[in-house]
Amino acid sequence: MTAEQFLSYFGPQRFIKELRARSKDGVLSELTRVLANDGDIRDPSLLLEMIRRRESLGSTGLGNGVAVPHGRSTAATRTKVVFACSKRGIEFDAPDGAPCRIFFLIVAPYEDHRHEYLPLLGKIVETVSEESSRQKLLGVETFEEFAEAMREAFRE
Amino acid sequence: MSDRVQRLVQLQDLELMIDELQDPDHKRKEEALGFSVENFAQLEKARERLLKQIPKQDLRSYRRIRRRHVRAVVPVHNGICLGCFQTLPTRIQRGSSASGPLPACENCGRILYWF
Repeated sequence: MTAEQFLSYFGPQRFIKELRARSKDGVLSELTRVLANDGDIRDPSLLLEMIRRRESLGSTGLGNGVAVPHGRSTAATRTKVVFACSKRGIEFDAPDGAPCRIFFLIVAPYEDHRHEYLPLLGKIVETVSEESSRQKLLGVETFEEFAEAMREAFRE
Repeated sequence: MSDRVQRLVQLQDLELMIDELQDPDHKRKEEALGFSVENFAQLEKARERLLKQIPKQDLRSYRRIRRRHVRAVVPVHNGICLGCFQTLPTRIQRGSSASGPLPACENCGRILYWF
């Protein structure tokens, strides 16, 4: 997957510089609402329910201040990702107990002919496993800066 | 979207999530990425609760279609059934009444879900 292919799942309308939410469920609601404003995904209640159910299996908080809630839904017709930050950090039941400050929400349809869901999930996890990438992501102010930070992570 | 179709979408999403995450290969991949996948009893309880809210006739239709197709309920996008990718005739009505038949694709028989 190239950097540009990776970035095609993101968009300026799905970039949140600073989350308003202060709780785990609030984060899930806010991220889902942003996706629901998208033309390809229009039913926030179905998406939110699916994401909450996935969380009930075990937190998608990965540690090191990162969470990647994800899942598939009939309410999605294309794979999309929301990126969001919270400077103050939000308790997300991560395995290291630390609050999460970087969030990626991935939602994909069940018909995944290009088999893009797991590779995309893997690439996001790989990218945020680097401390330098996490620091850059925490400092981005605009979607363009976010995109450049991701391109740099791909080059490294 | 009618409440009847919405409940079937909820059931389908839940059952497909259970199927996918119980698939050993998928579960192994998610766990290798650092995600926890363990508390399936919660999902089974949610499924039982949902089943009680769905009319028996709708559930029979859903089960019958799920025997033939992975997804019984599919979205309609730009007038196309996203199950079989056929253009739907305009006379197929959006939504469904409280007791009438569920909206279905004339070609593949899947239940239709309009955004």
